Amino acid sequence: MMLPAYNSHKNGEKYGKPTSPFTELSKRTSFRGRLVVMTLCLVLFFVYVFPSTLPTGLLRLISGPALPESVRFFDLSRNVGSAEGWKRNERILMCVPLRDAAPVIPLFFSHLRNLTYPHHLIDLAFLVSDSKDNTMNLLLSHLEEIQADKNEAMHYGTIDVYEKDFGQAIGQGFSDRHGFAAQGPRRKLMARARNWLLSAALEPDHSWVYWRDADVDTCPPTILEDLMRHNKDVIVPNIWRPLPDWLGGMQPYDLNSWQESEAALQLADSLDEDAVIVEGYAEYATWRPHLAYLRDVNGDPNVEMDLDGIGGVSILAKARVFRAGAHFPAFSFLKHAETEGFGKMCRRMHFSVVGLPHYVVWHMYEPSTDDLERMKEMEKERIEREKEAQMKKLRAQRYKNSFHDLKDDWQVEKEMIFKNTEIDYDKADVMKDLDASSKAETLAQQAAKKPAIDDDEVEDEWVSFDADPRKKAAQEATLKRSKLNIVPVDSVAEDDTMNDKKAGNEGVL
Amino acid sequence: MSTQYWNTRKRLGKVHRIILYIAVAACCFVLLSKFGYTGKTSNVGVRDRTEFGSRISPKSVIRRHNLNKLKSTPNAAKNKERVLLISPMVRFEPAYWQNLLSLKYPRDLIDVVFILPRDNDGRDTEDKLRKAVADIQMNPPQTRFGKVTILREDFQNRVAQDEKSRHKFEAQKERRSAMARARNSALFTNLKPDVSWVLWLDTDIVETPATLIEDLTAHNKSIIAPNVHQKYRENGKILSRPYDFNNWIDSQEAQNLAATLGDDEILLEGYAELPTYRTLMAHLYDPAQDPKIEIELDGVGGAVLLVKAEVHRDGAMFPTFPFYHLIETEGFAKMAKRLNYQPYGLPHYLVFHINE
Repeated sequence: MMLPAYNSHKNGEKYGKPTSPFTELSKRTSFRGRLVVMTLCLVLFFVYVFPSTLPTGLLRLISGPALPESVRFFDLSRNVGSAEGWKRNERILMCVPLRDAAPVIPLFFSHLRNLTYPHHLIDLAFLVSDSKDNTMNLLLSHLEEIQADKNEAMHYGTIDVYEKDFGQAIGQGFSDRHGFAAQGPRRKLMARARNWLLSAALEPDHSWVYWRDADVDTCPPTILEDLMRHNKDVIVPNIWRPLPDWLGGMQPYDLNSWQESEAALQLADSLDEDAVIVEGYAEYATWRPHLAYLRDVNGDPNVEMDLDGIGGVSILAKARVFRAGAHFPAFSFLKHAETEGFGKMCRRMHFSVVGLPHYVVWHMYEPSTDDLERMKEMEKERIEREKEAQMKKLRAQRYKNSFHDLKDDWQVEKEMIFKNTEIDYDKADVMKDLDASSKAETLAQQAAKKPAIDDDEVEDEWVSFDADPRKKAAQEATLKRSKLNIVPVDSVAEDDTMNDKKAGNEGVL
Repeated sequence: MSTQYWNTRKRLGKVHRIILYIAVAACCFVLLSKFGYTGKTSNVGVRDRTEFGSRISPKSVIRRHNLNKLKSTPNAAKNKERVLLISPMVRFEPAYWQNLLSLKYPRDLIDVVFILPRDNDGRDTEDKLRKAVADIQMNPPQTRFGKVTILREDFQNRVAQDEKSRHKFEAQKERRSAMARARNSALFTNLKPDVSWVLWLDTDIVETPATLIEDLTAHNKSIIAPNVHQKYRENGKILSRPYDFNNWIDSQEAQNLAATLGDDEILLEGYAELPTYRTLMAHLYDPAQDPKIEIELDGVGGAVLLVKAEVHRDGAMFPTFPFYHLIETEGFAKMAKRLNYQPYGLPHYLVFHINE
């Protein structure tokens, strides 16, 4: 029944090709074939867009035979770092130099736990050098703890702990480290340590390197993202430190981040080839603008400032900076060493070096020798003050014990003398003892009764409210007196005054 | 109704087919570019951690390395000291590869790093290198290299050919700077904590004594360079001539010349316009002398150079910028000297550069 309908259709005539159910069928299959091809294309396109959906085996099939186990291949131009590295799985190498750092390790690990950058993208590298305390063991136990955490998001990537002693001649006390004479050799040794750590730990697949000192007090947990977002080759935050109140509460700490000045360049020219200029010492007046001093508490934390020298408390740098050869000079490079020399070298290699004046990381406060002495003095003063206060108290006690305090009695007597009456004495006492509400009540009642009262009634009224036995006695005495008709001096005048006074009181209340 | 539909389809068939072919071609192109040649690298970049098993396991281990125990001694092979051999590679020279394989130093104690430019020539080189590496690394562990790393990097600042002839000085500076970057990239991503020595071996060095590493380490110097000559044929005889002029002892004239230069200018060897009067080690060769004789150098070349790993670890690198008016390997020698390491040369110990 359907056949005639196909054959007689005029369109079939028009294109000059007889159509039959058979040809239709073949066309149908070819269309189906196209559909399949189209679908395949779609799938391939999907795979192109989301390559991670492909199983690894198939991927390997497409990308050719795998190289033997011992061969690695990296395209370094892929690991150059971008503004939002966490979206592109960019790996960070976090380098932490440690020396006699046992006291700060727990604090440091609390910072590590808080970091918001995906932990599995961070490789940790520690260098423990010339340590006499148990830095190593403490470090290892903390590392094991964090890697065994139930929360897998806590686990870090690869962890390397290096040991290397450089034969430290300089102590680690604050003043040992920060004295002027110690700076040159100390900075050069620090630089060597940093270079050993970096060269051993840097892998071809790292996009970023983050240098962090262990003795940081407070730091935003988003620091890596915050610094990365600026997409600079080398970037540092501002480093301050909190201080005890007697020293002013807080203070700029890291003076190694600065901009070059004409005075400093002239100074550099005048110095010996091996001399190292260090910031923050009166011996070298450089007149450089320091990042630390430019902080404005209300400033925009994203403001950037170009720098020439930088400090090492917290540096985020692109790995390609280190791959290109920039390092921490352990010699006098343009009259600078370590991190300041690193900043100088980066500038020499045309990398961007930037600081954030209003983005602050807080370094721990360690008292200097002067501070320690001052603190000792203050402690002594405090103890003396306490002793003195105790003495004073004791003396006051003894003084009090040796005399009778007649103040209250005198108060009463004074009233009596002033008023020249005994009634007043009673009333003053009573008024003092009553609380406000009952007083108000009393006075209201008094006011109601006022037109009719005479002295006796008033006395009765008072008696009913008075519970104090001493006053009771006094009142009874008064009553007795009035019964015995012992009229006080100027009694009439006195009565008038009494009434006036009562009215006055009422007015006040 | 349905016939009309199929006929319309047929009319449009040709157009459809063309569109379809274009679509398929586009998909193929896209896929090839994604998973084809470059795919090899990009995927490895993503997968290397699991594939090579060297980096990460589900529960990452804490690795502890004591660098105090690391030594670089004259008896390197006997003490099983690891050598990191780095070759910046532009072309794959079979003669270089043959020479590399002929070295007697225990191969499993040698880690090899190749760094290639990221361009078309580099791809060609890389294919050949991959084949050669795969061959050797399929051997049993004792006869293969400890670890082979192939790196690829963009080296920008390429100077156009015509510009090169105009400013050959500038061009030379750019070229040496790019080379320095390649060397530093290869070095600082592979200087693992077990490496005692670093051997720099250019891919155009085609002939060295088989005991090269043993001979050089035996001198126990922080930095040591043999003399690089080139073999050539003349009247049927094979002769050699000095080739690498970057190994030199400084002269007062050169120092004075350097003092007149600006911060960004460099002093190069081998230009008549800049007579330096430095003592060039290449010219000091005397076949009658003991090949063990050492001389102190102020500048070194990178063709063959053995360096104790500690020198690099302390920060001595190949400056990509004028450092005391020196760049790359010569700048490296200067930086090492600033770090109190003295470079030495062996004027009577020869290695040979290829003759193009």
